[in-house]
Amino acid sequence: MALEFTKIKRTGLLPAFLCGGLLASMIPVLNMAVRSEAYVNLSQPPLDILLDGNWQTMAMLNLLLAVIGACLVYHTEFADNAMEKMRTLPIGEGRMFLGKTLVLACMCIVVLIIETAALATCGAIWFESGDIVWPDLMRNAGCMLLLLLPAVILSLLVASLCENMWISFGIGVLGVFIATMMPSENFALSLFPFALHFHVLGEKTAELGVGAAVEILALVAAGAVIQKIRRRF
Amino acid sequence: MSGLFLLGIEWSKLRRSKIVWILVAAAIILWVPSVLNAHLNFQMQAEGISPENNFFIQGFMGLAWFLFPASIVVSTVLLTQIERGNGGILKMLTLPVDPRKLCLGKFTVLLSLSAFQMIISTGVYFISGAIASQTQNYDLLLGPAPVLRMAGVIWLTAIPMAAFFWMLSVCVKAPVFSMGIGLASIVPSVLMINTKAWFLYPMCYPFYAVTVEYGKLAENTSCGKIALVPWIPVAVLFTGACLIIACLCFGKAERS
Repeated sequence: MALEFTKIKRTGLLPAFLCGGLLASMIPVLNMAVRSEAYVNLSQPPLDILLDGNWQTMAMLNLLLAVIGACLVYHTEFADNAMEKMRTLPIGEGRMFLGKTLVLACMCIVVLIIETAALATCGAIWFESGDIVWPDLMRNAGCMLLLLLPAVILSLLVASLCENMWISFGIGVLGVFIATMMPSENFALSLFPFALHFHVLGEKTAELGVGAAVEILALVAAGAVIQKIRRRF
Repeated sequence: MSGLFLLGIEWSKLRRSKIVWILVAAAIILWVPSVLNAHLNFQMQAEGISPENNFFIQGFMGLAWFLFPASIVVSTVLLTQIERGNGGILKMLTLPVDPRKLCLGKFTVLLSLSAFQMIISTGVYFISGAIASQTQNYDLLLGPAPVLRMAGVIWLTAIPMAAFFWMLSVCVKAPVFSMGIGLASIVPSVLMINTKAWFLYPMCYPFYAVTVEYGKLAENTSCGKIALVPWIPVAVLFTGACLIIACLCFGKAERS
């Protein structure tokens, strides 16, 4: 696993995720700075107001970041045939897939921490009464991570199967685009891995969370198995 | 070597890249929801837009807002990565060809890929419009003239954006940043079209053009107008600057 973390050192993945997280956190801050009067007087809890106003854009940035990250961690393997060398080592390709999943999951945690901090800052500055409470924020960040991971693992799976980065990148971008076009009321459609992350916490969160957990397990298992058997074809 | 010959070589490099399939898939994905939700076109009385115009403009809006710019970013990744694999760019730079010509040739290929995508998307519009007309028992198809005009406008207004993305992919060596900056710059275009300074942000030009068209077709919505005077000079200057920077950077890392 440590090997996978050393590999990303010179790809610029960590600064890219940090910048992406900062960019996404700028959205609620800028939105509040420019049009705070449109939000402050609403009757909902502050966190709900902030998420309703900004989460769609932030989620889209997170998803695009995840797609790019997934394409990149496998691109470093396929560029200059590093993959061939990896295959000669006594490390299963399934293990490598799990390692890369873990790397990207850590990156996503970093991004979500930055965004949570930004939401907390917005709450502290613009909403005096009924501040955002930390348990709510933490629960929100945790749920969002759970809802983001299926998209991360699916794009990793695609990236591991396509040697050319533009194909995996194109498929990922199309996935995000499909998710933006989907009606959010339809429950079956909102289980599409890229669509999950667009949902804010509500009454359907529990079902979506279970769906996301099942998808994560299924996709990780599928990824590990596909890595193992694809050399037989 | 003549420019046309160079262009032919660049095209033949793309033969096995499968990019065509990605662009075709994008066009189909764009129109499938429109066909499935065709009945929603009849509930637009508040905006005062006719069903056939709504069917047409909503699809092109989705295209101009995200799918088309993102496809251009994907194509730039293709054009740079296809040369970097196995050091192909090194061999190209040893040829007696001006590297600036190569750079502009690749940009022309990028423009033709985006033109191809526009053509495919327009073609799928006519197919999906015909299907939706069948399911709704209402003629949802417009004549070819306004559709082709809209497609042409989107493609033309996307040229400054394409120049910007091309500059990014040539000058920024780490692909994570050229892809990331490209995609991240698309997202704020939703905000920029609502400001007066929209012409300073090339990534929103196609979306702005479609929004203005929507304002014309829907009677009850107010929309901005396209004022050509500050816009065209800004767009031309921006495109020129991007292309000059890209030509200066092209192959620099390999030559040093």
